[in-house]
Amino acid sequence: MNAPQLTSLLTNRDLDRLARLRLNAARRFTNRARGEHLAAQGGTSTEFCDFRDYSPGDDVRFVDWNIFARIERAYVKQFHQEEEMHVAVLVDASNSMLFEGKFDLARQLAAALGVLGLRAQEKVSAGALGGVAQRLRPCTGRMALPKLFTFLENLAPGGKTPIEQGIELFLRQHRGRGVAVVLSDFLSGGDLRRAFNQLHSAGLEVFAVQILAPSELAPELAGDLRFVDCETLGHLDISSAGDLLGLYHEYRLAHEAQLTGLAQQRAGKFLSVSAAEPIEQVVFGTMRKKGWIV
Amino acid sequence: MSFSALPAAWLFTLLIPLVVFYFLKLKRPRHTIPSLVLWRQVLADQRVNAPFQKFKRNLLLLLQILLLTLLILAAMQPFLRREASRAQRLPVLIDISASMAALDAPGGTSRLDAAKKRVRDIIDTLPPDQDLALIAFGQSARRLTGFTNNRRELRLALDALAVEDVTGDLDEALRMAQALTRSAGFDKVLLLSDGNFPARTNFELPFKIDFQRLADAGPNYGITAFNARRAPGGKWDVFVQLAASAEAETASGSVELEQDGTVVGTESVTLPKGATPRLVFQIATDQPVQLRARLTTAGFDSLAADNTAALSLPAARPLAVFCPPKLTAYRHALASLDSITVFPRDDLASPAAFDLVFTDSADDLLLSARTICLIGLVPEELKALVAVKAENTTAIDWRRESPLLQHVQLGDVVFMDQPVSAAAAKDDAFANLGYEILAQGPRGPLIVERTDGDALLIALLFHTDRSTLPYRVGFPIFVSNVVQAALKQSGLAETAAARTGVLPPLTLAPNRAVHITGPGGFARDERTDDRGQLTGIPAPRAGDYTLTDGTAPPRHIGASLLSPAETSLAAVTQIEFADQLTVAAATAVPKADRSLWWVLACVGFVVLLVEWWWFQRRPGVV
Repeated sequence: MNAPQLTSLLTNRDLDRLARLRLNAARRFTNRARGEHLAAQGGTSTEFCDFRDYSPGDDVRFVDWNIFARIERAYVKQFHQEEEMHVAVLVDASNSMLFEGKFDLARQLAAALGVLGLRAQEKVSAGALGGVAQRLRPCTGRMALPKLFTFLENLAPGGKTPIEQGIELFLRQHRGRGVAVVLSDFLSGGDLRRAFNQLHSAGLEVFAVQILAPSELAPELAGDLRFVDCETLGHLDISSAGDLLGLYHEYRLAHEAQLTGLAQQRAGKFLSVSAAEPIEQVVFGTMRKKGWIV
Repeated sequence: MSFSALPAAWLFTLLIPLVVFYFLKLKRPRHTIPSLVLWRQVLADQRVNAPFQKFKRNLLLLLQILLLTLLILAAMQPFLRREASRAQRLPVLIDISASMAALDAPGGTSRLDAAKKRVRDIIDTLPPDQDLALIAFGQSARRLTGFTNNRRELRLALDALAVEDVTGDLDEALRMAQALTRSAGFDKVLLLSDGNFPARTNFELPFKIDFQRLADAGPNYGITAFNARRAPGGKWDVFVQLAASAEAETASGSVELEQDGTVVGTESVTLPKGATPRLVFQIATDQPVQLRARLTTAGFDSLAADNTAALSLPAARPLAVFCPPKLTAYRHALASLDSITVFPRDDLASPAAFDLVFTDSADDLLLSARTICLIGLVPEELKALVAVKAENTTAIDWRRESPLLQHVQLGDVVFMDQPVSAAAAKDDAFANLGYEILAQGPRGPLIVERTDGDALLIALLFHTDRSTLPYRVGFPIFVSNVVQAALKQSGLAETAAARTGVLPPLTLAPNRAVHITGPGGFARDERTDDRGQLTGIPAPRAGDYTLTDGTAPPRHIGASLLSPAETSLAAVTQIEFADQLTVAAATAVPKADRSLWWVLACVGFVVLLVEWWWFQRRPGVV
């Protein structure tokens, strides 16, 4: 007898597989509060880290007496400092994400990455960018999974707020360092560099996932068209669009490269996926291969 | 290529609103996309790299521009110039003489139709900056239109043009064209003719002439002469002369002679190539009759107008001659001649009109006669030019070939009356008054004659009684010659068929309105003069003309072509003018300027169809 689905965003099987994985943050921007996340400095966890010479004043409980017995020199054992990391999951809910399952994939990825955080006893918060202010206050522990799922399932799409403005609004209420997972198409005319800088300054390692619709990755256009922006309702007349596809792809790749650069320059990560890709492939395939999760 | 309506080029400014409105009002399919960010960059890049990309890639706009351009070009009325230069004004001389009615084949087209087709082509392609004037010429020329660019007027005048059964006179047409130069200048004339006119003319060309000779017609056979001469026994010998065109082969046929509608003789005839056979019929009648000869050939005869001829025979009667008794010598000479009656006489009353009057008295000039011989009298209109002095003189010269002076020797005759010309009288003063000098004295004319209609006036400016002429053998001969002239003038001795062109002078009741009708709907009203003379009646078509004055019975007179030149269908290949200029005929159809507006209009229609097709296939581009 199959157990009931915990959420419509992920299957139970995917949740089981996620239980064995955790986010691989490159830098140790963590909270001082204790957690399961290993801090860069020595801590008080049970996981051995290193030895160092004994200094007067050190807690003698951490002296390795076995070594002292053999070589008569006192060494102090060091342990990993397990600190609590804040995982902020930001989902772009603007109108541009309503195309061809982009928003759905974004919610699934948010759920998956949020599960990774909660399972690792990290503090997880979530927020919607681009639309009505929706926010999941920081929560931790596995007991918060339903809360996370409910938030994401009920996330209302639609809005015109640019992503950089949404990030700025989110950061005004955010406390804690860790990882900021930004799920968006990043098709904004605003200054993304400033948004990335703000995240980095807030102690958040940027995990940027660009989700593009298949029609954005490989548009099939021809003739004279009037493009209408779904958010701004602005229009652009294009003649002989089919002849411009090559140029479009160049600019799309250039934009992707720019986003990659922005993330890497701030010790972050960037990944571009298609909205048509299954969540399993993205999470357990692409993200694992690229070392996002381990 | 040139344009007739170049000012229409301003319509090209319509391209500006076309392009503007196209991009402003282009109905593009709306395509909602997540963001315009990338496309804005793409478009900016495209505009920078290819400013005219929109124009090059947008076929619909290009088609519209092409369509508008074609329409504007059509409105500019382009044409292909076939000649190096084109006259601004061009008189067109169209030959409408009888030979232009000749057909090229049985049931084919006449040469006038061919000429009209050429002119119609010129009219159809007439550019707005060129004016045509149509002039038709046969025996005389008439202007159909002035210089005009009105195609409808030109076509109407051309369509109304019909062949006249007359001989062609090119000089008349050239003189008419020359007269046109006084009102509107031009330097070239287009002549459309079959070339059936004399190859040499005395006309001095003040302009160039483009002689377009029409194609040769088929063989022709016709009657070229039809006359009659009185024969003894109250009979007439009727002569019919036939001829064929130069290219006609030997043919056989028959000639019928009708007398007042009844066939009185038929003769089979063979028309050998190059021969002009002459047939003789004999008619026994002393009453006025109408004769008609009709030629029928076995093969194709291209011209019908010369196949019939009409002839009026007058009633047989003696010549009525008035000669005063005091002119003894004349009465003595007349007494020896047959078929004449000399008045006055005691046993017979004088008729109301005479055929011949001899007189030396001005009072007798009131007598009505067709032929008058004045003796020792100076005609009233010559009194200013000549005066008679009582001096002896002799004849210096005389016209021996004149019928009146045939076999008359004046060399040794002494005249005691000396006509002296006035000092102011010029050489052509007599000719200007219609007089011809038959004998010339040392100081003035001795004998003059004048023909006015069917009236003949012979004036001896000396009195024969004061000369030695009556004692010469030439005197009775001279009297006989005058009688013969009177017989001819009265039509009593011989008569010939009247020719088309102008009817012969007729004598009717004086001062009467006369209504004339003829073939082809011909109708005309004229009025006789004080002497009952009716002259200058045009007869453009062969056939019977009827004259009605309301009192006397209608008078019929037939007009026939009877022109060896027209029947021969001869065509000159070049014309020699008086100034040694020779104009060669061109037989090829002249290339008229070709109008291209309709070609552009057709291409524009095709472009319109392509544009429609392109517009219809546009849905479903995404």
